[in-house]
Amino acid sequence: MTFDRMNRRDFLGATAGLAASAGLRAQAAWAQVPVALQLSWLHSVQFAGSYIALDRGWWREAGLEVSLLQGGPNAPVEPPVVAGNALVGISAADYAAAAVAQGAPFRIIGVAMQKNPFVIASLADNPIASPADLPGKRIGMAVSNTPVLQALCSLNGVDIAAVQIVPTQYSAQPLVAGQVDGLLCWETDLPVAMAIQGIEAHTMLMADHGYALQSQTYVATVDSLATRRKELVALMAGEARGWDACRADTDAAAELTVRMFPDAGMDLPTQQLQARRQVPLMFSDLTDAHGFGWWTDETVEENIRILSLLGRTVTRDLWDRSILEDVHAG
Amino acid sequence: MTALARRAGPVLLLLLLWQLAATATGGQFLLAGPAEVAAWLSDNPGLVGRALSVTLASAAWGFLAGNLAAILLVAAAMLWPPVLGLLTGLALIVFCLPLIATGPILRVMMGPGDGPQVVLAALAVYYTTLIPLLAGLRAVPSAWIDLVACLGRGHLAQLVHVRARAALPYLVAGMQIAAPAAFLGAMVGEFTGAERGMGVLTVRFIRDLNTAALWSLASIAALVSIAVYLGVGAAGRFLRLERPPVILAPPRLPQGSAGRRLGRAVLLAGATLVLWWGGMEALGLNPFFAKRPPDLFAALFLAPDAGATWQALLQAAAQTAVFVLPGYLAGLALGTGLAVALSLVPALSGLVTPLAIALRSVPVVTTAPLVVLLLGQGALGTIALVALMVFFPTFVACQHGLQQAPGQILDILRSHGAGRVPQMRHVRLPAMLPAFFASARMGVPAAILAVTVVEWLATGRGLGNLMTLSASLSDYTMLWLTVVLVTLASVLCHGGVAWIERRVLRLYAPEQVEG
Repeated sequence: MTFDRMNRRDFLGATAGLAASAGLRAQAAWAQVPVALQLSWLHSVQFAGSYIALDRGWWREAGLEVSLLQGGPNAPVEPPVVAGNALVGISAADYAAAAVAQGAPFRIIGVAMQKNPFVIASLADNPIASPADLPGKRIGMAVSNTPVLQALCSLNGVDIAAVQIVPTQYSAQPLVAGQVDGLLCWETDLPVAMAIQGIEAHTMLMADHGYALQSQTYVATVDSLATRRKELVALMAGEARGWDACRADTDAAAELTVRMFPDAGMDLPTQQLQARRQVPLMFSDLTDAHGFGWWTDETVEENIRILSLLGRTVTRDLWDRSILEDVHAG
Repeated sequence: MTALARRAGPVLLLLLLWQLAATATGGQFLLAGPAEVAAWLSDNPGLVGRALSVTLASAAWGFLAGNLAAILLVAAAMLWPPVLGLLTGLALIVFCLPLIATGPILRVMMGPGDGPQVVLAALAVYYTTLIPLLAGLRAVPSAWIDLVACLGRGHLAQLVHVRARAALPYLVAGMQIAAPAAFLGAMVGEFTGAERGMGVLTVRFIRDLNTAALWSLASIAALVSIAVYLGVGAAGRFLRLERPPVILAPPRLPQGSAGRRLGRAVLLAGATLVLWWGGMEALGLNPFFAKRPPDLFAALFLAPDAGATWQALLQAAAQTAVFVLPGYLAGLALGTGLAVALSLVPALSGLVTPLAIALRSVPVVTTAPLVVLLLGQGALGTIALVALMVFFPTFVACQHGLQQAPGQILDILRSHGAGRVPQMRHVRLPAMLPAFFASARMGVPAAILAVTVVEWLATGRGLGNLMTLSASLSDYTMLWLTVVLVTLASVLCHGGVAWIERRVLRLYAPEQVEG
């Protein structure tokens, strides 16, 4: 129907419909519970599942008014969850364990990254294909990640003293410029940037060499688990549905991400490639059988072992699967 | 036409050098030249425009709030001199708080939005205005003060009619230093989780290996800072109708017996503890991240791992000290030397001044990899970056100080046929000393701030690294301990500079100390 053929009655009808739906929305908004999800980094497809859930109104239908709090290089992630400003935060198992050691009453309620995204990236003409290649190599990394490399070395019987650690900014530049032979980084960020610039990097996924630590884990406080279960279940249900949709069409997820944050300086090809590379880390036979975010007693045991290599002592109580069980039961 | 050519010449030379450097380092993703920058900017005008307007707004509000706070603090201290020591002490302590630690805490307190960016911009500027302003308010011909007293008027009249007017050039100097600092403060504030702005884009483009975009942002930041610097300077020239006519009145330096100085220090420490502890309780900050004084005392003296805590702190402090001291001294020498050189050879000014502002205002996150590549991961690179941060306030303050030389005395020297060098030695340098020492005092926190940022972003050593590591591992006790340590060290070094200042002025400019 073209505009000039739309008669007055249609127009009035449409307006009345709009008014009615606005009224409904106002009523729904009155029933919305505001909750915040604290992200661990700048907006990107790293959190595409959340954007899809928000964009398609899945949380709104479940009565949640979700705000996504962006992270950043100097952004607090754990404190807003402890202080109650955010209902759920996205952390990694090692950071969550560290926070618990400092008194944060955290429980891990979901695991987005089933495989740890840490890799050693190297250039194709000087590849680091397995941990055995590490001795004698210069590895650029944040010094704070030394325990990660240490854990990888002890898991694979490599002497870390033979590896030369070079403190670098978190950028692929030192590798490209030949200042280092390898970079400790995520599969989904620096190697993607290099590929977009036309430099094909070789990546050795640490999860393929025993480093089974869960990453991008959802954490909530014990208190929230006791008193705000309904919101937690609704929030995690939206996440699960959003991530399933992202998996089904990573390009669409990347397009939505770029469209939702036009001021964030995101580049569509970069986001598309990142989405394609991160989905295999997030889904496994386990999630296919039980649903997004799942874990088992065996994966918990494995994580407790890796955490002890990182110098963290945790118990099984750190993990609470009851929210996910509710999410995937329905 | 020739005037235009004279102004454009140095700029063209700088652009050419920049392009050559970019071409020489091509393929390493380090530096994009002006051609690439121009191309990227013309492709992305909307993105840059929106980011710039966001960051500029935060910086402007912070600049306004910070300078207003400085002016109000100084006015209060002038009207009621007994609080001067306490106020400046507290102002110094707040300025020394490392932004790596205050940023996330502000974010937790203020939630999403522009709050932390504005506050960090304000924190970055108020002290660099406060100190020159205090120097300026004291730099008053004593005869004028006597005149006000003879007329039976009080402190307020003295402040409004005499001191405020005399302080104007110093206020201008302070604001010129503050302008790039506000912009940097707002950008660093965006690192705490802001949705948009130049800082957010900088982080994005570093990861994306997008060198052209990164240097475009840096160029815009530099251009904005240069424009504000020149604008504030022009406004100052417009307001300042005459040069300071006679020799400066003695600045009242903190004097008194050792006992009274100790008393002042105890009072300051007590007020700090009350504000810290009381503030946290009043705001109801969660003890998970907002550590109170007893928490730190327990960690240092009562906890079973107190020994390890001490060792971690002292080891990091030692690593930082090795870089910060040479960097600080090099920055002071460079700033003073450049100001003196420009005063002797004014023709260089057109080339050097924009370069100096650009070096200061290009964010450290952008320059750090370049400097580290040129000078290495070791000591030299870090020292150079610290010197870069210190030299600019020194340069600006010393330039203003050199201009404070009394005209009549210069006339006498000129009438005896004395050249520029004797004028410099006998008149300009002594006249510059108060401004130099003011900038040396301001430089202490700036240097420590710089070194911790470089350690955080590039070298992964020392206190800056300890702070980020502690924050990422939720070890907020250690984070607050480093905050206390950094603040204490800054305040002590500040006191050390004041001690040296008294001795130097007694030797070279006794009329400014006694009286």
